[in-house]
Order: sequence, then C-alpha cells, then structure tokens
Amino acid sequence: MTRTAMNVAIKRKSAKGQDASSGDRLFDRELEDLPQELRWREWMGRIEAVLFASGSPVGRDDLARVVGQGASVEMLIEDVQGELTGRPYELVQAAGGWMFRTRVQFADAIKAAADLGDQSLAFTEMEMGVLCAIAYHQPIDRAGLKDIFGKEVSRDLLARLRYKDLIASGPRAPRAGAPHTFVTTETFLTTFDLQTLRDLPELDLAVGNADEAARPSQA
Amino acid sequence: MTYQPTAIDDDQINLPKLPCWVTTGRAETPETVAFQSGAALAVLDQLVSDRAHGVPVKLLANRLALSAATATSKLEGRLAREADIRDAYHLTPQGDARGPDGDLLAYWRKAAGLRLSGRDWHRGLEGIVGQSFEDDVAGWIEAGAECARTHVPLAGCVAVLRTVLDADDRAERVACLLSDIVLARVLNWKTVLPVTTRRLTKPALRDVVAEGQGAELPLQVRILENIEETIRLARDLAQRATMLQAVAPKLRAKGSDAAVALFLSEDAVAPSTMLSPMIKGTTIPMTDRAARRFCDRLVELGVAQELTGRPTFRLYGIVR
Repeated sequence: MTRTAMNVAIKRKSAKGQDASSGDRLFDRELEDLPQELRWREWMGRIEAVLFASGSPVGRDDLARVVGQGASVEMLIEDVQGELTGRPYELVQAAGGWMFRTRVQFADAIKAAADLGDQSLAFTEMEMGVLCAIAYHQPIDRAGLKDIFGKEVSRDLLARLRYKDLIASGPRAPRAGAPHTFVTTETFLTTFDLQTLRDLPELDLAVGNADEAARPSQA
Repeated sequence: MTYQPTAIDDDQINLPKLPCWVTTGRAETPETVAFQSGAALAVLDQLVSDRAHGVPVKLLANRLALSAATATSKLEGRLAREADIRDAYHLTPQGDARGPDGDLLAYWRKAAGLRLSGRDWHRGLEGIVGQSFEDDVAGWIEAGAECARTHVPLAGCVAVLRTVLDADDRAERVACLLSDIVLARVLNWKTVLPVTTRRLTKPALRDVVAEGQGAELPLQVRILENIEETIRLARDLAQRATMLQAVAPKLRAKGSDAAVALFLSEDAVAPSTMLSPMIKGTTIPMTDRAARRFCDRLVELGVAQELTGRPTFRLYGIVR
C-alpha cells in the first residue's frame, strides 16, 4: 500500500470516527441480531480493517471501541493472527498497540518493486551510528555525541533523524547555552520492532557492575 | 554576612522513633520479620498520619519517588544515577519529551500523588500503569490486600510483587507500585508512599518468581529495611521542615510564604522555572533574580541545600 492510499484510508476512517462520536447509535458495536459465531467473525473483520487502514500502531482502547462491550481484543487479535499464518504480512504488537507489517523476508521484493518515496528509511552509516548512540545514551546533547564520535555531528544529520520522527528534543543539558538533548521517540520503537528501550541489544562493553555481572545467567 | 544556623527544637525529640530492639536484632525468621515489621509500620504510620509530628508528607512522598525511580532504573537495567534522573525531570522544557529517565521519575511522582480515597481511585491508577495492565490491577491489589490481612502486611506486598512479575517479568515498576498501594491500603493511608523499591535487587525478584514461597522472606526483609530507612527520612524531614518554618518569618521577599510552602512539598526546586515567573501552583509573581536570591538566602540560613553542585541550572531542596 502506498502512503497516499494509506492516508486516504486514514482520512476516511477519521471522518467516520467523527460521525460515530456525534451519534453513537448509528454504529452498532454489539451486533446483537447476529448469531454468536457471525458476530465474532464480524468483530475480527472490524479489527483487521482498522489495523489495515492505519499506518501506525493502533492501541487497545481504540480497537475496543469497534467491538462489543465485553469482547476481548486480545482474543480477537489472536484469532486474526491465526488466520494470517502463511501470509506475507503479519499482525504484530509494537509500541503499545498493534499494526500490520510485511514479513521481513519480503523486504527485498518490496524495495525492488515499489516506489517507497518518503517512507523509505535508508540510513547512512553515520546516521545509524548517531541513532544508536542516542538510543543508548539518551538524553544526550551534541557535545556528548561529539565525545562519542570524536567529531562534530552535523545539525543536518540530526535534523534528518528528527524529520523522520526517530528522535525528539529532550531535557536541557545543564551546560552553558542550555543545549537541548535528544531522546528517541515511539516511532523509533516501532521502526526497529522494540516494545520498550529494554529490548535494545545489550552492549558487550557494559561496565562492570554487580547487577551487570549477574545478568548473563538470567538469559 | 554569616548567620547562626537555626538550632533544632527540643520538642523534636518527641518524634516517634524505632525502638532499639527493632534496629539491633536481625530479622531472620518469618516470626521476627513479622514482629519487627509490625513495630516499624506502627512508627511510620504514626509519623505520617499524625499531623502534629509535622512530617511534610508530600515532600516525603516526592523524595521517596526519586529514590524509587533510581532503584527501578537499576532493576530495569538502565542504571541511571539519581542526579541524572532528577535533571532529566526538572530540566525538560514544557511540552518536550522527558526521555526514559525523566519519564520514570514522572511515573513515580504521579504514583506518589495518587489519592486512594473515594470510589473511583482505580481510574487514576489505570492512567499510570498503562493499557496492558489496566484490567488486572484492581484484582491484583485486592488479592494482595487480602493476603496482607490474613497474613502480615509485608506478605501481601511480596504476594502482589510476585503476581505482577509472574504475568510480565519486565513490569518491575508496576509490581513495586502495586506493592506500595497494597501497603497503603492496609495501613489505611490516603496517599501512596513509594517505600518498596529502594533496596530491591534483580536477583531477589528473580528468585521470588522462580522459587515462590521459599524466596519470599529475603524480599520481606528488604522491604522492612526500606521501611526503617523511610522512618529515618521522615524524622529528618520533620526536623528540617521545622527549621525552615522557624526561619520563615525572617524571609521578607514577596511571596516567601508560598515559596516556603513549595519547599515543603518539593524535594528539588529549580528557582528559574518553579519560582519564577510565578511560584508553582500559585499566581504570585517572582522575578528570576528574586527567586535566586530567595534560594541563596535559604542556604545562608542553613535550612536548604544546593543539590547539584553546579554553578548554573541549580536545584535547591531542604534535604539531599
């Protein structure tokens, strides 16, 4: 799906959302006239449709709004996932919600065929390095990044990362000029398939600490 | 000009304190832990509930929130230092992202501000623990409180810690918060004091999930130590608060009453953002310079300290 198609779908969805909020009667959540089996299928369909239409993860609260009062969103999603085995896309949990995603093995095919436009997240090596440094050392300012890389990190590079919504401004660093620091965003977590920052791979060079030493035994 | 540091009042000696038979003996069996924790909780409850003792409860809760954030950071493997966490929280401009450290302190401060009275106090809690737990927390707390009533309070705390970590072994911050809530419910407190976390360690939590009953006692002992430490902190804060109130009449700055009240509820005060242009929580204006001078004056009088050791971006508080 191209970004434009997605945007149109989202716009339609949000327009529909406004309608629904202005008159809740119009939207039948409970579907009481349907037999149990069909009702469940309809709910599964609704969840799948909402997730398909959205370009970003959809939270549990939003999904719960399109299904019956007592219906378990998790169970519905499990059933949808069950039907997706063997498909080239999957329904995954990311950054506090769920989203549709193509499977990793098809990445090359998608790159070869589609014009990804602004969706493309191709990184240069330096961009990736800076992003990693920020992820592990956040909040960190440009002076801190300079200490890590041994040279100035250009404002343009940071602006590009910020434009891709992977980093944001964090607390002020307590130095002269009060430069703002950089922190990673929700989009960063989604992009790299992390639930929280704890999913970042452990650094081998972590300094010796009682807790640190005890950790490998836990894994 | 130097000033005579304000002397501590004699009547502070009457503050409840831990009897030596609690502090000297080491608790090793379930019975001794139960006995000593009972004594410790009674003292802490008196200190916090009886206003006559003059413990600034809000300040205590906020200070404990900072300790809890530092301990949770350790449990989560981020290992942020207390000063960094405090900076991340206090130096973030309005509307910007706080980052993981600042968010952690914000989480604990929100938890410390939770009101447990009223019928819909669960609402506030759901906003704090996040979506994945909001359905379960009420049941977990009830079960923990029930266990605390039939056994001992600390057993209830450990039971809820175990339940949460069983459900999600990375939810340390939620587990610790629910343990604090169970304790507060059992002691009938109106607010939550984050006392559980400080001395918990990762191996101790791991053991209690893996082994169950057998590993509960060491965890109870750790929480007991936390409670003893909280009592010391509460006594210390009560004395310092009295000292601050004693010098309050000497402060002539406009709005000094409101500023003193702020110092009695916040563990760290940033003069440039929390005192000026307006004293936080009020509409009383204070200029940048007046705010700085006010804080310097408190330090001069020996009732407040500068917390960071920096020449700029300073933070002041009545206890370190």
